[in-house]
Amino acid sequence: MAKPEGSSRTVRSVVLRYGLAVVSVAIALGLAVFAQSHAIHRLEFPLLLIAIAITVWYAGTMPGLVAVALAGMGFDYFFAPPLYSLYIEPADRPVFVVFVAFALVIASFAGRRRRIERELLDARDQLQREVAERTQQASLLDLTHDTIFVRDMGDVITYWNRGAEELYGWRAEEAIGQRAPELLRTVFPLPIDEMRAELLRAGRWEGELERTKADGTRVVVACRWSLRRGAYERPAILETNNDITERKRREREIRTLNEDLEKRTAELQATNKELEAFAYSISHDLRAPLRHTVGYTELLQKNAASSLDPKNRRYMTLILDAAKRMGNLIDDLLAFSRIGRAETRTVRVSLDQLVKEALHDIRPETEGRNIAWSVGPLPDVHGDRSMLKVALVNLLSNAVKFTRTRAQAEIEIGCAAGDADETVIFVKDNGVGFDMRYADKLFGVFQRLHPTEAFEGTGIGLATVQRVIHRHGGRVWADGVVDRGATFHFSVPHA
Amino acid sequence: MTDLGRILMVEDDPNDVELTMTALADYNLANEVVVTRDGAEALDYLYCRGNFAMRTNDNPAVLLLDLKLPKVDGLQVLKQIKSDEKLRMIPVVVLTSSREERDMIASYRLGVNAYVVKPVDFHEFVNAIKELGIFWAVINQPPPGSIRRKDLN
Repeated sequence: MAKPEGSSRTVRSVVLRYGLAVVSVAIALGLAVFAQSHAIHRLEFPLLLIAIAITVWYAGTMPGLVAVALAGMGFDYFFAPPLYSLYIEPADRPVFVVFVAFALVIASFAGRRRRIERELLDARDQLQREVAERTQQASLLDLTHDTIFVRDMGDVITYWNRGAEELYGWRAEEAIGQRAPELLRTVFPLPIDEMRAELLRAGRWEGELERTKADGTRVVVACRWSLRRGAYERPAILETNNDITERKRREREIRTLNEDLEKRTAELQATNKELEAFAYSISHDLRAPLRHTVGYTELLQKNAASSLDPKNRRYMTLILDAAKRMGNLIDDLLAFSRIGRAETRTVRVSLDQLVKEALHDIRPETEGRNIAWSVGPLPDVHGDRSMLKVALVNLLSNAVKFTRTRAQAEIEIGCAAGDADETVIFVKDNGVGFDMRYADKLFGVFQRLHPTEAFEGTGIGLATVQRVIHRHGGRVWADGVVDRGATFHFSVPHA
Repeated sequence: MTDLGRILMVEDDPNDVELTMTALADYNLANEVVVTRDGAEALDYLYCRGNFAMRTNDNPAVLLLDLKLPKVDGLQVLKQIKSDEKLRMIPVVVLTSSREERDMIASYRLGVNAYVVKPVDFHEFVNAIKELGIFWAVINQPPPGSIRRKDLN
């Protein structure tokens, strides 16, 4: 029952209430006068009391008092001699006083009764409102997917929402009244006393608990306990849970993967270290005996050449050639391994400039040759300058080498159409080409498609190119036809 | 060639010693070469102790230092020399098989005076040794207190 709002409503209510007093007393007086005129006497007294009672009942205390006053005056005027006068004869005054007193008693009883009833009604309405509100809250709590339940200080469950039902598989009527730790077979991470102490001290506790569903599966939940300490309510613990089993599992998985990765990285690092030591050893230890072979052979050649016949002199030359080739192999192999080990330093590299430098570097190989160079406009790429130069030098030197049999060698360097996110460069020659069946062997270490007599080389050049490009995240590939030339492509991803 | 600085060679490989001596001999530089076979012996020589306790207390005009040596390796010898007030003036030339950049960087960090990679090709090797010998033992004016043939005469 809402309180009247606005002053007009209040005014109307006041007019109605006092109007009721006037009207009810007037009706009572009218009925009494009518009865008297039909010779029915002594009816005015109860009729007026009824009017007062009705007024008090429906209009309240103040209109009741007004009704008492009006009834008193009416009684005096119409029924107490002298009639039609407000004068009260001394003999009648006690009767009049008794009437007023009686009326007041009735009014006060009725008023009190009325007040109590109104309070009761108000209390009932208040309760209804609260019930409605609570019901709504409860249904809202029910609606959420979060798991919410309430337990008292003895851990007995007193509220259990739908989320809790869904998570744990216990229905509300099964769960309420049960002790939570037993129902959910909770595994606490800390001694329970510590957790309770924290809850009582801070009013809340947060953490992860392991529990068991109705069907026996284990779940890990992120828990939040809040302590309710109302002045009129019994203390209780509100608990919200989130199922983090899956998250935990993934975390564990990621951890395992990371550990594996770390282990593998460590292994790789160890392998790299070994390789480094190996390369160092090649660099230092393998070269020394080679140097000695060459050195002593040359000394021998110098001192004994005159006493040797041509066949033996040739043997000596062969020894020297072999040793020198071994030296080149070691150097190339070292350069190759250095590319794998070196740190890359990515900068913006002008390929135009780099090609110029590479052409300068291979000048000893191009001297005396008839080569038509065609260098297209080349873009800038992002990469390690010195490594990319190594790749270019190898590719150009390759092209120069394998066009040696041509009277007019043609070598073209250009930029080919590739994917949007990479730059593709090609080196095309009109040399001896290769059989596409062996294309996969081109880039392997020590793989050669031509006999050493025809084309010298260690078989590391293209492997080095591939290694450089792979370290840049790019690809290398080649097209060729026997005796019709070859085209080598490499790509460098955009930064 | 009026005065010739003494060359201290630190080299463990007898073949390298012989080839180097041969190269130096061609240019009459060999008779002022002292050979030590590891880092410890080289330091003994420089500090006039052990087998070299009786030698005159002069520094060599140049030290040809291999890096990979038994006992005390070349970089340690270099570090010791360059941190010793009395020895730090001796010119040190690293003469090694190692082309590794880190060896080169480490040597220069320690204050080496030259870094030479032994060429595989014998002619180049001989040339390198010859030029080193001539430069350091003849052309270069060594720091005071170095042994010179003239002084010995």
